[in-house]
Amino acid sequence: METALQTKTLTLVQAITDGLDTMLGESKEVILLGEDIGKNGGVFRATDGLQEKYGEDRVIDTPLSEAGFVGAAIGMAVNGFRPVVEIQFLGFIYPAYEQIMTHASRLRMRTMGHYTVPMVIRAPYGAGVRAPEIHCDSTESLFTHMPGMKVVCPSNAYDAKGLMIAAIEDPDPVLFLEPMRSYRSSRGEVPEGKYTVEIGKGKKLTEGEDVTVISWGAMVPVAMKAAEEMKQKGVNCEVLDLRTLYPIDKDLVIESVQKTGRTVIVHEAHATGGTGSDLISLINDEAFLYQKAPAERVTGYDTPVPYFGFEDHYLPTPKRVAAAIEKVMKF
Amino acid sequence: MVEVKLHDIGEGMTEADINCYLVKPGDFVKADDPLVEVQTDKMTAEIPAPRSGVIKELLLSPGQTVQVGTTLLVMEDRSGGDHSAEFQKGTHIVKNEAEPAVAVLDRPAQVRVPVGVSARLGQILASPYTRKVARENGVNIMEVKGTGPAGRIIEEDILAFVKLKEAGVANTSKPGFEHQVPNVSEAGSELQAPTLSEAGSEEHDSGVHKDTLPFRGRRKQIAKKMVQSLYTIPHCTHFEEIDVSELIALREEIKAAGNSISATAFFIKALSIGLKEFPVFNAKLDEENESIQLLREHHIGIAVDTPDGLIVPVIRNVEKMNLKQIHGEMKRLTKLALDDKLTVKDISGGTFTISNVGPLGGSIGATPIIQHPQTALVSFHKTKKRPVVTDQDEIAIRSIMNLSMAFDHRVADGATAVAFTNRFAQLIENPKMMLLELM
Repeated sequence: METALQTKTLTLVQAITDGLDTMLGESKEVILLGEDIGKNGGVFRATDGLQEKYGEDRVIDTPLSEAGFVGAAIGMAVNGFRPVVEIQFLGFIYPAYEQIMTHASRLRMRTMGHYTVPMVIRAPYGAGVRAPEIHCDSTESLFTHMPGMKVVCPSNAYDAKGLMIAAIEDPDPVLFLEPMRSYRSSRGEVPEGKYTVEIGKGKKLTEGEDVTVISWGAMVPVAMKAAEEMKQKGVNCEVLDLRTLYPIDKDLVIESVQKTGRTVIVHEAHATGGTGSDLISLINDEAFLYQKAPAERVTGYDTPVPYFGFEDHYLPTPKRVAAAIEKVMKF
Repeated sequence: MVEVKLHDIGEGMTEADINCYLVKPGDFVKADDPLVEVQTDKMTAEIPAPRSGVIKELLLSPGQTVQVGTTLLVMEDRSGGDHSAEFQKGTHIVKNEAEPAVAVLDRPAQVRVPVGVSARLGQILASPYTRKVARENGVNIMEVKGTGPAGRIIEEDILAFVKLKEAGVANTSKPGFEHQVPNVSEAGSELQAPTLSEAGSEEHDSGVHKDTLPFRGRRKQIAKKMVQSLYTIPHCTHFEEIDVSELIALREEIKAAGNSISATAFFIKALSIGLKEFPVFNAKLDEENESIQLLREHHIGIAVDTPDGLIVPVIRNVEKMNLKQIHGEMKRLTKLALDDKLTVKDISGGTFTISNVGPLGGSIGATPIIQHPQTALVSFHKTKKRPVVTDQDEIAIRSIMNLSMAFDHRVADGATAVAFTNRFAQLIENPKMMLLELM
């Protein structure tokens, strides 16, 4: 990781813009594609000003056709470009799912390593912003299931820029999940210039001996809040920000779980088939004898994310997380 | 090709020893011809041919212990084709032969095992981490009593156990370690240990010398059946004393005439006569169908003490036998039992059981355990000369034998048991009365 001396205070979405700007400036191979990302700057303004700066050939407004422009990006990636496509909401990605699963994720395998697909798919995800239905999906595990696709999910501005640059430089397709709830909810110090956050590496946010709390994206602040509450009660949580969902930072998880013997996993995706299940399997495989209590999951429920009136009931809250922590502590 | 496998020939067996093959490669055998003799925990059995054919290959050698399901030999089927179905039928025939005994043990689900046992066999509540701590400290987790939720063993329980063990008071044989054991670590373990062993505490590990006996084979089978019986049948035992002076005199007379008939043969015949009048003691309770099946045939089991434990060969159709036949059959079966040569047929299908403990010496009484699913069992105790007040108010010396009769109180009541033993006493005390029954 290179760290520039100068930093600026940015929101998460601004950090993404900064990362894209950095890479557009560095290499002509970097091309942005998406609906309304040019003149309009994207539905969340993540590409604001970039078309003006780099031109219509570098920042391309596409027709409303996810399968079309994701497919086009795959072709560009195979032919030497480094395309970054924007899906307006993760819930809109399904028309492109076929392109992603049958081409992007397995071209390296299919060509015995002759071709890789160095592209990035940016997708704002998650609930909590009072968006309509399908605009709030958190279906990351649909993409972690297929080997070949890397999946990252920053929770703060620093990681967002560093991961974006790493994703663009990565030889394989990366699904870049952007927690829209965190886009503007906080600011962070972000170095100017180029630096990377390594894909496949999580981060320990707090040290603790009692319980490991694992989360990512928009759920990291929730986990942190719960951990702070529990600290008042004398329970020391070790909060992990997974940052990459595929491949998972197994060493980080196992080391922490072996230390604490207790685990709470927080994600807003549905429980069934969620990444939390994979984490529990991992813990079962690698740290079984260290378990003092069954791992708990605090997740969204097994329903589509409800309309905004009920959104808060669907999403994990610090209260729910704290209850789970108490449960594993009292087991 | 037909593979002949060792199947469960009854009693839920899992393995058997190969005694000998009764055929050799090239032999032609007909369906049901015996092929190989195997020895199980309880009996010697012959595995029959599932169908006609020629023996191709014998796969094992005598003395080998094999699991149920092991292929014993391969035979060539004359008519060809797949005969697994027929093979199944073959095994079924064998099972039918042993029907009553198998019918009992084929339903292990009905056996009620005491709760404590199952708890000790794998229902220990402890997290993986606690188990790891126990393993690292060399603690057998089964010995630790849990103080966590629902009695779960927690890390602290293990560590406390280790501490107390180091102090020299932890027991290693008793499941359910009590935390309230007085803390003697302060008193000093060296002083404490001899005191405990002097007090004869078996729970104390050091200072107690013990021998270990294997608990398997016939002993385990007996244990299994006893538990099944005792946990299923509400036992009630009725005691009676019988004056056998007349019987002894009669035996002397018969003996003088050149015939020796054991007293037990008379007992068995008298019981059979009694069972005709009180068939409820020669019955089988079928709880499922809510019926008591009164069995017409008297297959009387005789408990035989062998060096390997109790075994109960069965004299079949006693109701049709005369005393001499009963005596002969009893002698034959007892010898087979002592030689360990009983077959499945010899030990299955009993409907009533007797236990003659007299020769061993017990004279007062016993509370015998019924052979499930039978309804009664009679024990005969040692005959002793005792002073008896006669009907003429005189004291006489008579030979008295006590009898203990255990019966299933679900099926019969005490009054019936008394009536039954009264009838038995009547026949034995006036043995010539039996003549009337034999006419």
